[in-house]
Amino acid sequence: MSTLAFIIEDDQDLSTIFADALESVGYQVEQIKDGLIAQQRLKEEVPYLILLDMHLPHISGADLLTKIKADERFKATTVILTTADARMAEAYEPMADFVMVKPISFVQLRDLTARLKPR
Amino acid sequence: MMKKIRALWSYLNKFEGIHPDNARRGRILNVLLAGTFLLGTFALISITTALSILGTWDKPGNSLLVITVIVIGLGSAGLFYINQRSTKFAAFLFLLLLSIAFAFSDVPAELANGRSTFVFLISIAISSLLLTPFSSFYFALGNGVVIAVLASVAGVVPNVPAIVSFFMVALISWLSSRSLEQALSELRDINANLDQIVKERTHALAESLTRERIEAGRSQAILESIADGVIVFDTRGNAIQVNPALSNLINVPINNIFNASVNALVEASPMDAKNRGTLAGVLTKPGKQQASHRVEWGRKTLSISSGQVLDRDGSEVGTVAVFRDFTREAEVEKMKSAFVAMVSHELRTPLSAILGYAEIFTEQIYGPLNEKQINMTNRIVSNTRRLLSLINDLLDQAQMEAGKLKIKYEMMKPADLLDTLHSVMDKLTADKGLKLTSQLDPNLPETLSGDSARLQQILVNLVNNAVKFTEAGSIDVQLTKLDEGHWGLAVSDTGQGIPKEDLPHIFDTFRQVEGTTTRVHGGFGLGLSIVKQLVTLMGGNISVESELGKGSTFSITLPCEAMSL
Repeated sequence: MSTLAFIIEDDQDLSTIFADALESVGYQVEQIKDGLIAQQRLKEEVPYLILLDMHLPHISGADLLTKIKADERFKATTVILTTADARMAEAYEPMADFVMVKPISFVQLRDLTARLKPR
Repeated sequence: MMKKIRALWSYLNKFEGIHPDNARRGRILNVLLAGTFLLGTFALISITTALSILGTWDKPGNSLLVITVIVIGLGSAGLFYINQRSTKFAAFLFLLLLSIAFAFSDVPAELANGRSTFVFLISIAISSLLLTPFSSFYFALGNGVVIAVLASVAGVVPNVPAIVSFFMVALISWLSSRSLEQALSELRDINANLDQIVKERTHALAESLTRERIEAGRSQAILESIADGVIVFDTRGNAIQVNPALSNLINVPINNIFNASVNALVEASPMDAKNRGTLAGVLTKPGKQQASHRVEWGRKTLSISSGQVLDRDGSEVGTVAVFRDFTREAEVEKMKSAFVAMVSHELRTPLSAILGYAEIFTEQIYGPLNEKQINMTNRIVSNTRRLLSLINDLLDQAQMEAGKLKIKYEMMKPADLLDTLHSVMDKLTADKGLKLTSQLDPNLPETLSGDSARLQQILVNLVNNAVKFTEAGSIDVQLTKLDEGHWGLAVSDTGQGIPKEDLPHIFDTFRQVEGTTTRVHGGFGLGLSIVKQLVTLMGGNISVESELGKGSTFSITLPCEAMSL
């Protein structure tokens, strides 16, 4: 089974750290920094896991989340929402599979994604 | 002609500046003189007419009669004149002349003991009226002497019973005049008293009126010149007092506000339903709720406080409301909150990156580190966490100040609170050589309604605070059931304690005891302030007990049921 993971995050450093965490447990990671590109890539690929930031240029994380959840193709995809805003986290909690409030611990993210990995 | 006579008469009777009794006597004398004058005039006319008709002018004594009558007329006129200057002298002169006239009015024998004896009674009776009441006795005596003299001249026996009757009449005159004067004098006293009372009352009334006017004027001047809008409603809710500042503040002409009811004012306001409700509440239920309320009046933010107006007996006579322009302050507050939120948010992103990279090191993803390197990266992680928690505190504080922080109630397990607390704080306490212990009251329900994240924050903040101020010993956390409706959290330490004078300020924002301790212990001093605010939002309260050198205990009481907020 594919272990493709999209890290949709506009901050380069966080993106790198998340990528490191996921790669360390064996995911194949693609980093995307723009909402528009993410939308395009999601048309082409169905990743196993999506790490989605709420604040993105061009298309917001919330919009992407709505689209992903409405699309049958992503039925098996796990979405982890990342945000610095605790209130926003609360609002989108029912839609996402997991919500992580920044600052996100490297260890926490690594352990969580390790558990979610296909066996 | 009649008018002139009347004017002359009233001029003659005007006795000013002398004793009222003398004035009265003067007037009586005037009447008598007028009578005498008229009698004289009448006698002159009738005598001259009779003499002319009879043609007996040259008969001896007749011309003397005419001269006498003229003298009487002129004498009365002269006495009028004297009466104006001295009533007493005029009266005495009048009586004297009267007595003399009587003494020559008949032959001595008839006067001493005959038909004319009792003519003397006239001057005796009148003297009581014209002079002092007692003077009738002098005239009785005088007239008695005159009769005796006349009797000896005529060679007859004086009429002794008549002389005795003179004294009787004198006595009666004296009594009646005296009682009349006494009655008049009493009447005058009463009048004078009345006058005095009226004068005093009038004076007092004028004084109090003036005072009231001054006070009212002063209050009005103050009301007109203060910058805050003031409106006073009577008990029926109609505006009875409005100052210009209010008119300017809410941009409604002062005459439109005057007499307007609370409802009319609320209806006319450019506000939404919620603000209208608040305004109506403030104006109709003064002082029942918090001290001041904020409403959005158009583009302005107004801070309104109200109170009952009570009279001296303590009964309510109306409501006074003070409107203050809070627009600028509200804007500044909003800006401050937005600024803090923005800054905090922006600070968190790079800190997240630092934390992430440091963790990558500690997890040795890119190869093994030596012990020193591991130690250092651990320090980077713990310091970054501390920085993050400070920023979180600032963010919380900003949200609470902006009223945006809401308590989210859900069913949660008190036991979980302690588990999480241990997982977060055990290491920190152990690092400082302290022991963290906890007790869960078996009577406490397994699940409670509460905001677990915020309760966790409260516990972590309190334990953090305890760790900060405790050098040795232990920190104990207790969750207990207090009564049917309440449960409690308590955090005790064996630290340095809090000085008594600092206890009242312990929950203030940005405050640490003694000020200098900020440098020693770190932090903004927001921890306890946030705890206090969270507890208040949850409908509970917090208290602290402390003994210097022995330690402190923070106790929180919370309602078991969720507050409906």
